[in-house]
Amino acid sequence: MQASTVQPRIGVYVCHCGLNIAGVVDVVAVRESASSLDGVVIARDNKYTCSEVGQKTIADDIREFGLDRVVIASCSPRLHEKTFRALLEKCGMNPFLLEMANIREQCSWVHSGDSEAATEKAKALVRSAVARARLLTPLLRSEGRVVPKVMVVGGGVAGISAALYLGNMGIKTYLVERQPSIGGHMAMLDKTFPTLDCSLCILSPKMVEVAENENIEVLSYSEVEKVEGQVGDFRVQVRRKARYVDEDKCVGCGDCAAKCPVRVPDEFNRSMGERKAIYIPFPQAIPPAYVIDAEHCRYLTQGKCRVCEKVCERGAVVFDQTDRVETIEVGAIVVATGFQPYDASKKPQYGYGRYPNVITSLDFERIICADGPTHGKLKRPGDQATPKRIAFIQCVGSRDEHRLDGAGAYCSRVCCMITAKQAFMIKEKYPDSEVYVYYTDMRTAGKGFEEFYQRGRGEGIVFVRGKPGEVREEEDGSLRITSEDLDSGCILDLSFDMVVLAVGLAPPEGLVELAQRLNLSRSADGFLLEGHPKLRPFETSIDGIFLAGCVQFPKDIPDSVAQAGGAAAAAAATCSRQKIEMDPLGPVIDEDLCIGCRLCEMLCPYGAIKVEKTDRGYKARSIEVACKGCGVCGASCSARAITMKHYSNDQIVAQTKALLEVS
Amino acid sequence: MADLAVEGRAVGERQEGFEPQVVGFLCNWCSYAGADLAGTSRLAYPTNLRVIRVMCSGRVDPEIMTEPFLHGADAVMVLGCHPGDCHYLSGNYQAEQRVRTVWMVLDHLGIDRGRLYLDWVSAAEGARFADMVSEFVERVKALGPAGGGPASKEGLSRDEFTFRAEVSRRVVAGERFRWLVGRNKALSEEGNVYGEKVSPEKAGALMQSVIADECVRAAIEVLAGEAPVSVRDIASRLGISAQIVLEQAAYLKRRGIIELYDVLGRSPRYVLAGARA
Ligand SMILES: Cc1cc2nc3c(=O)[nH]c(=O)nc-3n(C[C@H](O)[C@H](O)[C@H](O)COP(=O)(O)OP(=O)(O)OC[C@H]3O[C@@H](n4cnc5c(N)ncnc54)[C@H](O)[C@@H]3O)c2cc1C
Ligand code: SF4
Ligand code: SF4
Ligand code: FES
Repeated sequence: MQASTVQPRIGVYVCHCGLNIAGVVDVVAVRESASSLDGVVIARDNKYTCSEVGQKTIADDIREFGLDRVVIASCSPRLHEKTFRALLEKCGMNPFLLEMANIREQCSWVHSGDSEAATEKAKALVRSAVARARLLTPLLRSEGRVVPKVMVVGGGVAGISAALYLGNMGIKTYLVERQPSIGGHMAMLDKTFPTLDCSLCILSPKMVEVAENENIEVLSYSEVEKVEGQVGDFRVQVRRKARYVDEDKCVGCGDCAAKCPVRVPDEFNRSMGERKAIYIPFPQAIPPAYVIDAEHCRYLTQGKCRVCEKVCERGAVVFDQTDRVETIEVGAIVVATGFQPYDASKKPQYGYGRYPNVITSLDFERIICADGPTHGKLKRPGDQATPKRIAFIQCVGSRDEHRLDGAGAYCSRVCCMITAKQAFMIKEKYPDSEVYVYYTDMRTAGKGFEEFYQRGRGEGIVFVRGKPGEVREEEDGSLRITSEDLDSGCILDLSFDMVVLAVGLAPPEGLVELAQRLNLSRSADGFLLEGHPKLRPFETSIDGIFLAGCVQFPKDIPDSVAQAGGAAAAAAATCSRQKIEMDPLGPVIDEDLCIGCRLCEMLCPYGAIKVEKTDRGYKARSIEVACKGCGVCGASCSARAITMKHYSNDQIVAQTKALLEVS
Repeated sequence: MADLAVEGRAVGERQEGFEPQVVGFLCNWCSYAGADLAGTSRLAYPTNLRVIRVMCSGRVDPEIMTEPFLHGADAVMVLGCHPGDCHYLSGNYQAEQRVRTVWMVLDHLGIDRGRLYLDWVSAAEGARFADMVSEFVERVKALGPAGGGPASKEGLSRDEFTFRAEVSRRVVAGERFRWLVGRNKALSEEGNVYGEKVSPEKAGALMQSVIADECVRAAIEVLAGEAPVSVRDIASRLGISAQIVLEQAAYLKRRGIIELYDVLGRSPRYVLAGARA
């Protein structure tokens, strides 16, 4: 890893980035200071270095001046390092002979108030980049294989759509869903805005298509436990929870459930109905198989019963099933684990969980659904009476700038339309009812959304601008809301039979752990962070892992499906590659210095460095394919026998010195 | 050598016109991305910080943490991903172990540990990053310039500060020190080669004694590298007993690191081995 002793020939390019950099930093001064640095044979400033003209200038210079190092002072290397490395390669240079100085994100954009200091800082950053460039060495990328298969995690409408796009392209796809059936929240909805299609009527055919697609394997009742490897070659450990029912034998006749003695609140109906301990979540479930709820099954908890096993003619009940962990190899992963509704009981002022007639928007979907606990009759949970006066309260758990009670500061985007839909459905079924909506702002951006909302207004729904402070229950079970109407300035004191809380969409349960397993970042709102807020909306910071649906941020069904299409296309593109080139950032071990102490072996997070017996005693060896290039070994080695490729101590010290030089 | 610590001035008297030089080591995946986000969101912070990008905070060798002090830095920041979020699983835990032990070295040498800062910044925390830098720069201003004599918290002259920084760099480059840093956590969690768990207090005491020895050895090396010195010269320079210096000098001599230069009067003088040529 010795840098060549020949004097390097460095080209420095200082970018104006239009006025983004040049508006603050004196780029000419930076260029001038760079041109006097050791080893610099040409320094230029360009309007847009990344443009075709900018790139051509560099290519020409490489040829004309015989450059062997290129330093670009511009935006963050996280944005354009790839672009410029590719340029170097095109010019026949080793791509690792590039160094960038971040004078935009970490200079002009944050120091716009002090041009002089910003210019000095930019000079220092360029000095440091040149110092590092002098010591760069050419590196060869290693090659990794590509497993042409994809795993989709989460089987809501986003995951289902992604799996179908992939399966139809002929790509083997595993759809991992933690519930006993795929379907997600869309399966629980009655109708969908703005067209009021019946939700399951449009979702169920897609679910059947998933089951029938020979390229798709549904792993229901399963969760991702561990992920290893990298783009093209992930190894995922999936825990397949014991279902106690053989999926292949069960035909879904339901004889078992008819005889099962245990009744449990039915979570699919938001606990407003009951199911048995052996159950199918909903009739259209995929896979269409029953499942035993081990927490409530009498046999599994008390050791006596097995009635279902006796009545099942097909012998599908298997009590000796246990959890299994399967390792699945895939080349790309799509994460589509959706959302969970905000837990309204965290806002005690609205009485959810205390007052039976305060429900959430998701509860409402079940109540109004023909397949739901009231068979589609609007009945309030407290006494099964049909409510006449209904109030909706918007933004429960959303748009809370103080983020109290676990609420989000963000707008959940869909709740206004959900309420518009639900209020409209009430008016449609029960024209005499009186419907009030307490809102902050009505947000109805979307194709056909505003028109739909205006239709609702025409039906006589009353919109009150203001967020009620509390809901009080009266003795007769009715609910009182006192609130200011911000539009008229009057205090409204009204009584209702039922209150619906339009709850926000929160990150799904278990997302923190899943993100850690996948090594993904979350944004401040708790959802998964996309690769770039504008240009890489379904990518992540990890190559080969993509996002679809609400797990990235709350969105409606069409947007979830659209993002799923994008994620599927990107995953398919990964799978179509012959091989993956990996950056060679691993350790180089000097065996003369290594004392075989095993510190590196003990600290490497990936088992990528091993101490082996050699003729000269115990020596560390790097296992290149497993190494991710973190540098932990190099920074720990007790004998300082390890040099990290591309991030050597020498390089870092040279950068440090150059940064601190007084110019 | 704890008595090396000189009484400095009280913190807080801000120095007019003192603009600290701060070097930051930021991991590519979280903290550097967070710093970029501060830029994208146009959040201003002081120009004092200059960043070096590394793949992971776990790449930041203790030597790299101390090196900037030799070249005029007033403070060093090491920023990584939040615990549990490191792109490489556990690099930030290593960074934390290292910073904690380097702090012990700095304490021992009378350099304020506030000049070495460790924190976590996620890719989404642009605003937090900007605030963090602003606050840290203020705190360094209160510490005063590194080696700023009476104007600094430590009260060390420029030369004395550089000397001590060099001693610290050598200590953290030493084999015994590095082995202990790497094993520190495991020692208390998994136990030593005999499977005996070491309490964190005991591990700390062990580290402390290693640091004490290594600081004296490193100081002897630095001084013997400058000119022939006697044990008494060294002892008076370091302000510690000649007995301690003698012990460590004997050790260095046995290991062939220093050698006898001449005998002046009755005191033998030493130089770095091979330096006589
Ligand atoms: C009350 C209500 C009404 C709505 N009405 C409409 C409407 O009318 N029109 C419209 O367009 N949108 C509507 N929406 C929004 C719509 O529900 C979402 O856009 C859509 O469900 C998002 O799909 P998804 O696949 O991203 O998430 P989800 O539907 O939440 O699916 C995620 C799936 O991932 C699974 N999962 C979660 N974590 C894991 C894990 N760790 N491992 C494996 N699997 C996991 C879950 O079990 C679930 O099956 C409504 C939402 C609500 C709350
Ligand atoms: S660089 Fe990281 S992954 Fe590679 S061998 Fe060293 S510790 Fe292991
Ligand atoms: S830590 Fe260094 S000396 Fe110890 S085995 Fe690894 S490479 Fe060799
Ligand atoms: S990658 Fe950020 S601390 Fe390891």
